[in-house]
Amino acid sequence: MRLLIIEDEAGIAGFLKDGLEEEYFAVDIAFDGKNGLDLAMTNDYDLIIIDWMIPAISGIEVCRQIRKSGSLIPIMFLTAKDTLEDVLFGLEAGANDYIKKPFAFEELLARIRVQLRNKNQSDDSLSAGTLNINPGTHQVFCDSIEITLTPKEFALLEYLVRNKDKVCTRSRIIEHVWDIHFDSDTSVIDVYITFLRRKLENAGCGNLIQTIRGVGYIIRES
Amino acid sequence: MSLRNRIAFYYTVTSAFLIAIVFTILYFMVQSIVYKQFDEEINSEVSEIFSDAHVTSKDFTSFSRFKNFIDDKEVNYRETKHEEKGTAKVDTEFIQLVDNNGLVINKSANLARNFLAFIPAQTKTIYINSSINNSMIRQGQLPLLNKKGIIKGYIIVAVPLKNAVIVLHDLQNVFLFSFPGITLTLFIVTRLIAGKSIAPIKKVIATAEKMTQTNLSQRIELPHHHDELYRLSATINALLDRMQDAFQREKQFTADASHELKTPLAVVKGTLEVLVRKPREKEQYEYKIQFCLLELNRMARLIDQLLMLARYESNKMNPHIEAVWLRSLLETVTVRLHPIALDKEIGFKINGIEKAAVTADPAMLEMILENILSNAIKYSPDGSAITITVEQKMRTLICSISDQGIGIPEEKLHAVFERFYRVDESRNSSTGGFGLGLSIVKRLADLQKIKVGVTSAKNQGTTFALTFPAT
Repeated sequence: MRLLIIEDEAGIAGFLKDGLEEEYFAVDIAFDGKNGLDLAMTNDYDLIIIDWMIPAISGIEVCRQIRKSGSLIPIMFLTAKDTLEDVLFGLEAGANDYIKKPFAFEELLARIRVQLRNKNQSDDSLSAGTLNINPGTHQVFCDSIEITLTPKEFALLEYLVRNKDKVCTRSRIIEHVWDIHFDSDTSVIDVYITFLRRKLENAGCGNLIQTIRGVGYIIRES
Repeated sequence: MSLRNRIAFYYTVTSAFLIAIVFTILYFMVQSIVYKQFDEEINSEVSEIFSDAHVTSKDFTSFSRFKNFIDDKEVNYRETKHEEKGTAKVDTEFIQLVDNNGLVINKSANLARNFLAFIPAQTKTIYINSSINNSMIRQGQLPLLNKKGIIKGYIIVAVPLKNAVIVLHDLQNVFLFSFPGITLTLFIVTRLIAGKSIAPIKKVIATAEKMTQTNLSQRIELPHHHDELYRLSATINALLDRMQDAFQREKQFTADASHELKTPLAVVKGTLEVLVRKPREKEQYEYKIQFCLLELNRMARLIDQLLMLARYESNKMNPHIEAVWLRSLLETVTVRLHPIALDKEIGFKINGIEKAAVTADPAMLEMILENILSNAIKYSPDGSAITITVEQKMRTLICSISDQGIGIPEEKLHAVFERFYRVDESRNSSTGGFGLGLSIVKRLADLQKIKVGVTSAKNQGTTFALTFPAT
């Protein structure tokens, strides 16, 4: 899952990136509104976190511009503005959630997961066939056998399961699992897929990931 | 009682009082004119009697001299009565002679059994109203004097008042009955006019009632005429403008203060939260804790400045004004700032009067100078110079501090003394300030009656001028 954080306060952006990357998210940071809007428009993010008071273009305006472009991407405000009017104003501008500073990191994390849930998902857990993934604890089970994965392997598997029954192209996988600093050599995906397949096979979930030749990969429910 | 009713009430009471006076005067004037005519008639009758009797009022000898004449009158009366039967009303007079004790000597026959009223001991002619047979008469009573001037008796002549009484009575009734009507009408009309003229006040009240602390944007509609109400509305509007402005600034200050306080708090809290989620290397703990300490120091500085500002703004600080040697104070401050200035290779130059004494609170003045100078260092390019000039203009001392820094745009100059205002709107902390330093300078200067001025040219530098009060 790839996130964009638009935040001018380096300290906050810094710990957000550290903390979220530990949670296997790919995180990009923009320090002003203009840069943030550019990134939001060019890259395919899964969620955007915006501070209200940022240079160049205000967070509210960035949010409006993103919504104007027709995007339904989850947007969360993370701001020191804490009056009721501010919250209402932010939500009316098109945000999905509003978190006031100072906040607890765990709460932010939980709220991010809520925003990333699919419509037909009752809680955070993901599954495909006998495979079960818990994004909160980063545990993966095949039936009842736990599979130990590296962060990137986990992120890749999570992305594929979240988009199960859909073909995930290599470029989309790159966009959602790696951050902006990754150079777009897609062959690295094939390497990670090989690792993943081996680990799944050992646990008994053999043919879960299927290759669509020349396009990408797919995980099917059945 | 509403203002409208009060206006109407006072106006009506005053008018009613005046009308009552006018009515009374009018009534008595008419009455006196009417009676005067009757009195003249009586007079002419008396003189007629005297001339007929060949006497004057001052040579009375005997009542007998009038006898014939009164009998004549009686005859006349009978004749006329006879003639006038069935025709017009008889215009007749009554005559009565009395001695000075009031004993009736003689009287005209038309009086029949009646007597004319007598008022004893009168030395002059008097006119009174009385009645005979329930009809009003006007009578005159003339003293008859002998040659020695002693009153020997009186001649009383009376004429019927007839219509005059009815006229006067009617007039009185008209006045009495019209008075409440006029008063009531006046009250109603005045109330209406008063209501119309104070209608704009109701608008003012309605607008003011709609106003709340959060909604100060309402304004009173100004009336067309430039009268007192216009001025009242304009004054209230101006007051509201000021209130809204102050309220807005207060709101901005609170928002800024909470942003400035919450950001480092959020940074520290978040950093530590992320840090303790997982076991880490010793170096990473040390690095993160150092980082948090820096943030906390910054926060402590901000809290110090906020508290200082709060103390100065509540006016609880009394400056201890004394004579201060400006030059030595400047040297103390520049020496203290020397290490920071050295980092950027910035030099201080102090010019002008060497021995200049100003009246100020030394500690406060030191803080003012330190704030302005550290600002100057912050915004100056490396290797530039900061010039401090002390000069005398008229009777006041001026200390100006000029840097060669980036300058402040003209349109932002006025705001530099506002709390949390930073010319660099991005509020990023790379320059390290909170935008409170100059607000503190302004407050401190105000407390000591020092004027602070600022001029600036883009990319050439900024000059702050402190004008000290004349000694």
